[in-house]
Amino acid sequence: MKILVTVKRVTDYERKVKIAPDGKSLLTDGMSFVANPFDEIAVEEALRLNKAHGGEVVVVSVGPKDSTQEIRKALAMGAHRGILVTAETVDSDVYARALQQLVEKEQPELVIMGKQNTDDDANQEGQLLAGYLNWPQATFASKEAGLDSADEKAQKPGLVVDNGQLTVVREADGGLEHLSVDLPAIVTTDLRLNQPRFASLPGIMKAKKKKVEEFSLGDLGVDPAPKLTYVAYSEPKERQAGQIVENIDALVDRLRNEAKVI
Amino acid sequence: MSEAQCLGLSAEKGSSLHSGCATVGQAVDYGFRKDQSVKLDLFNPSQEHRMLRDMISAFTKEQVESQAAEYDQRGELNISLFRELARLGLMGITIPEVHGGAGLDAVASVIVHHELSKSDPGFCLAYLAHALLFVNNFYWASNDAQKKKYLEPTLSGEWVGGMGMTEPGHGTDVLGMSTTAVKKGTKYLVNGSKTYITNASEGDVFQVYAKTGGEISAFVVDRSCPGFSTSKPIKKMGMRGSTMGELIFEDCEVPAENLLGGEGAGLVHMMRNLEIERLALSAMSLGIADRCMEIMTAHSKERVAFGQPIYKFGQIQRYIADGYAMTEAARALVYYVAHNVGPEIQNRLGSDAAKLFTAPVGKIVADYAMQVLGGAGYCEEYPVERLFRDAKLIEIGGGTLESHQKNITKDLIRSL
Repeated sequence: MKILVTVKRVTDYERKVKIAPDGKSLLTDGMSFVANPFDEIAVEEALRLNKAHGGEVVVVSVGPKDSTQEIRKALAMGAHRGILVTAETVDSDVYARALQQLVEKEQPELVIMGKQNTDDDANQEGQLLAGYLNWPQATFASKEAGLDSADEKAQKPGLVVDNGQLTVVREADGGLEHLSVDLPAIVTTDLRLNQPRFASLPGIMKAKKKKVEEFSLGDLGVDPAPKLTYVAYSEPKERQAGQIVENIDALVDRLRNEAKVI
Repeated sequence: MSEAQCLGLSAEKGSSLHSGCATVGQAVDYGFRKDQSVKLDLFNPSQEHRMLRDMISAFTKEQVESQAAEYDQRGELNISLFRELARLGLMGITIPEVHGGAGLDAVASVIVHHELSKSDPGFCLAYLAHALLFVNNFYWASNDAQKKKYLEPTLSGEWVGGMGMTEPGHGTDVLGMSTTAVKKGTKYLVNGSKTYITNASEGDVFQVYAKTGGEISAFVVDRSCPGFSTSKPIKKMGMRGSTMGELIFEDCEVPAENLLGGEGAGLVHMMRNLEIERLALSAMSLGIADRCMEIMTAHSKERVAFGQPIYKFGQIQRYIADGYAMTEAARALVYYVAHNVGPEIQNRLGSDAAKLFTAPVGKIVADYAMQVLGGAGYCEEYPVERLFRDAKLIEIGGGTLESHQKNITKDLIRSL
């Protein structure tokens, strides 16, 4: 089975982002970048499916040229080859349209993506791609048995492929849904689908010999104009220090009249 | 991703998110220079080095940090975690790829020791004794038949390795060793003992130095050799995440094919391996210093005294700034020398200088951190007191400070 899996280069969530003086962009100087953590879960799932069913895992990134670092990491985890689509500004729509072209070129049976990219948290790339391709989608894939289960320790995939059909356990507000979709399909991953492996040192050494193709948006015939404009950024409000109240009446009064939560 | 979102993520899933937001121990963020980390430089000379550092740093934060205090208290090696290092392919970091290693250099080995020691120098010491004192040392000294027997089980972590040089009566004066090996037919009879041997309790196989006639020879000794035994673990001040004990040889029968190189070749093996060992120990001291810098700096901003954060006091600034300058000097020296040490490059002066300078840096910066933290630093709540105890070993193990002074002076005089 051929699986296409995404790794987007995103700002490191352990670092505080800084807003540029114009208030319309983020400073990238001194910022560090990592692979989108939801995408790492997608890569892990693709590798487990590959172990069970064979085939190929192709890692795709859309973004700046330095995204090859995140592609290399996925290759070190065990993916077979990489494709980088270089792009300056990427909103969800540009991202989905670039992926659409790659899917049509590569013809995978399955695309696995993080449910969202932790830089803008838009949570719509998988859905947009499914729309553009007119493919079925199963979003927020999770693992019913949980991350402490024997299945997880045995590195079993949470996605079940059988006879051209894919079964996905999906996290919904009221509990878990079991979806069945026809392949080819788009799956987006939630946090509890698996725990990604560390790239081993032999994996790291092999990664440098693996092929990474590079295209521009223009090469793929994708209109680079984003549909989304960032108007302004602002810092979150600083948290106020806690207060110690004298008694329960005072607490109720503050909650009702000051915090306005009851 | 904003900090608030980050907190949301980690609340949703606890600390199980891979390379996740959840902070470990008391440290808020390990990456003092993380924002510069994408550059390939003295510290990360290739993309593979960079990726290795990212991997071992994430592994340390997610799996090593949380167990460090417990194993320090128990005085035991966490053997299952140790085998995880093997699963990550780290036991043969300096071994050529054709023999199942990674074919990397001393810089790569330094990176692993540096990052592991930010959380658990004691555990890292067991790794050093296995991967460098046994696997690396053995690899460059052994023939094909010996490699076939001993390399695979030690690369896979199934067997734990160590090395025996120091004796109860002979430490720095290593040439005065009194353990002897006498050839009897197809065997050597080994008599004597080795002490302060890391991994002695858990070890399955050791590279052991003994005198054959007047010369030093090296042997591989495993648990199947009759007359070989190990003592109970020796209790020690720090580095308690690994054990230390004696190797005892009582008419110990070692097959003649376990002689490494020829009789008298032991000294060359010993000296060659000491260089990378000293660099790795220096890197451990650097890891301790890095972690202590981070803890004391964060604490100095949060802790308020006399109405202001304590970093505003000159006395505290001296600990922070002097500690930082020392740590940076150690970093530059260790990595610079690591670029110039390898199986084909002899650099005793460099490796002795690196350890002579860097060993006290870990200890001093840990001491500074404890002083900045005050009572909190002296208590087990913070890892500082553990790192302080661990740091002292590096002024003694792998060559005392005095042995480095002796070697450096001798080499400088000889070069005149």
